[in-house]
Amino acid sequence: MTQSHGTTSAWSRALLLAGAVAALATLGAAPARAADKTVKIGITLPLTGADAEDATLIKNGAVLAIEEANAKGGVAGYKIETVIYDSGTATAGQYDPAQAATNTKKLAADPLVVANVGPQMSGEGKAMAPILSQADLATITPSSTNPDITNPAMAGQFRPKGKAIYFRTVTTDAFQGPNMANYMAQILKIKSVYILDDSGAYGVGIADSYQKQAEKLGIKVLGRDQLNPKEADYTTVLTKIKSLKPDALYYGGVAQAGVKLAKQAYDIIPNIPKAGGDGVQGASFLKGVGFPAANGWYATNASPHMLEDPGVQEWIKTYQARFKMLPNDYSITAYNGALVVLDAIKRVAESGKEVNRSNVRDAIQATKLKTLQGEVSFDEHGDMLSKVVSVFQYRHDPKYPDDDIIHQQKYEGVAPAGS
Amino acid sequence: MTIWDILLQQIINGVSLGAMYALLALGFTMVYGIIELINFAHFNVFMVGSFVGLWVLQAMGIVGQGHPLYGLALIGVLLTALVVTMLITGVIGVAIERIALRPMRNVPGTAAMITTIGVSYILFNFILLGAGADSKNYANPLPSVHWEIGEAVLRLREVLVWAVAFGLMLGLNFFVRRTKMGKAMQATAQDQEAASMMGVDVDRVVVIAFFLGSALAGAAGLIFGLYYNYTSFIIGYTAGLRAFTAAVLGGIGNIPGAMLGGILIGLIESLGGQFLAVRWTDVIIFSILVLVLVFRPAGILGRAAPSRS
Repeated sequence: MTQSHGTTSAWSRALLLAGAVAALATLGAAPARAADKTVKIGITLPLTGADAEDATLIKNGAVLAIEEANAKGGVAGYKIETVIYDSGTATAGQYDPAQAATNTKKLAADPLVVANVGPQMSGEGKAMAPILSQADLATITPSSTNPDITNPAMAGQFRPKGKAIYFRTVTTDAFQGPNMANYMAQILKIKSVYILDDSGAYGVGIADSYQKQAEKLGIKVLGRDQLNPKEADYTTVLTKIKSLKPDALYYGGVAQAGVKLAKQAYDIIPNIPKAGGDGVQGASFLKGVGFPAANGWYATNASPHMLEDPGVQEWIKTYQARFKMLPNDYSITAYNGALVVLDAIKRVAESGKEVNRSNVRDAIQATKLKTLQGEVSFDEHGDMLSKVVSVFQYRHDPKYPDDDIIHQQKYEGVAPAGS
Repeated sequence: MTIWDILLQQIINGVSLGAMYALLALGFTMVYGIIELINFAHFNVFMVGSFVGLWVLQAMGIVGQGHPLYGLALIGVLLTALVVTMLITGVIGVAIERIALRPMRNVPGTAAMITTIGVSYILFNFILLGAGADSKNYANPLPSVHWEIGEAVLRLREVLVWAVAFGLMLGLNFFVRRTKMGKAMQATAQDQEAASMMGVDVDRVVVIAFFLGSALAGAAGLIFGLYYNYTSFIIGYTAGLRAFTAAVLGGIGNIPGAMLGGILIGLIESLGGQFLAVRWTDVIIFSILVLVLVFRPAGILGRAAPSRS
């Protein structure tokens, strides 16, 4: 990083010189670009594959914030450019950690990139975090909830250089999994459960944290198994679950396996409550599953539910007008994530310091920003101070299209916290 | 559920799954039997088949679930979808052979096999770009009829999978054993040169083998979609690999072997998942494959045609 500063200032010195020397007037284009003062924000999301639907909603949230800032003439004299990378690959069929790592290296290699918004998935995040740390490049994830990445005990693995670089505008599965276990025990009165995960970083993590809390609350865990997300047939494990007669099924994972699980569960275990985390909360899941199979599934979000707030309606209209689609809650956390970055750039620029990665990172760490989801501020590891988990249930409303994510699920309230 | 109910239910699950693997395995085995080529494009011909089936059903006005058809209307819709899908994937198979593989036929080494991998990726990306990457909610005209045997449940869709798969397999068996073209196929599989000297048009035999194999893959794709109410551009890989394993397990080049191998793999998958854990499925399947290859390299039923070497 320091090296690239060196090159930047050496460049501007050379260009000043060039401006003075009339014979070098051909270089005139270069100082003009420097005067424009551009910085770049990366956006890294799995835009192809099973998660594409929700990744697009997130991308649009971040893009909207940046476009609005540019329309107002930029941030403290800086024009903001976005660099969008796709971390989904055809071979993975969903997010691909290796691709996320490659994208992060590309971002790190561009000195004008001062921060990143993303990733969507914790599996990507785990691959990205060490590279971000080495590059002193901060990212703000609007949806990745695996607690390991910001866990101080695992800092050696995920932030070898020490400083927090992985910030979130959502809370983590240290709350999302356990709070759903609380909800099941206290509100749904569940006594026994079978737990599945999709073998991804996020899925295994949230299923583990759910299981721990469920056992603590005295919910009997009748079994735990792992789905291969590329496999199509889950009738075997569902038949096994049916024979064990649990009160509920908990699934930790994302849409690729979740869609098939929900469809087949509708046939084999239609009458027991089924729940998952934010991996089954969203358009990718709903559109893939459809009704009647999605009916009755519970899902959580690691953020407050904002879409029904009167104060957010104006924003939803803007989003819809710009992108011709309805946002979800993580569109708002992505919008807010981008706002945090823009606010950090502004504070760095106004304080007279150089707008570079390490200063922007420090400014993000010190964030205190009023947003659509309330005040956003972070602890020293990058986790958000607000730790709200919302619970939803898919309930078919024939008045609206089947894939209308806002109207086909009902907000059930905030999941009970506490251990 | 008693252990017998569970066992019966897992056998129903396993045979349904195995019937699809068997249909798919037949395509591998026929092409291998005749030109000794492992056709990796077959993975994604199956995947394309499930999309073609979806589009045909949608063209007939069937969208999503919850609008079941009954009686003759149901049979008519399913038969039309099956026939159209099989024709289209059959033609795709012939096109693959004609455009990509025939020029490679006499090239020594693995060039032809690698070409099939390339073709597989072309089909894969074609669907990815054309139909999008999201999981598709399959059109489903089947009513949710089911029968209960103890606590085990047999669904109409399982009966449909069995009927289509076993019907097509019997048809294929009849074709290969009883018709002139089928006998020409057997002759070509035994010795291509000698068959051509006896007046068998080898090119035509190969075209027919590709057509039939791909049509069966298309049928497998359609019933896959109807069975799971789901399709996606990535379904080819796992199913294709399992079906290929089934073909090797039964004895590659051997048509009854492919059917047996498919059903066996399906049963191993469902019973292994019940009594061990589904996360071990691949380990179990591929361990059995390794054991079979070590102790019975020609597969359970052996190669039907003697090797040309």
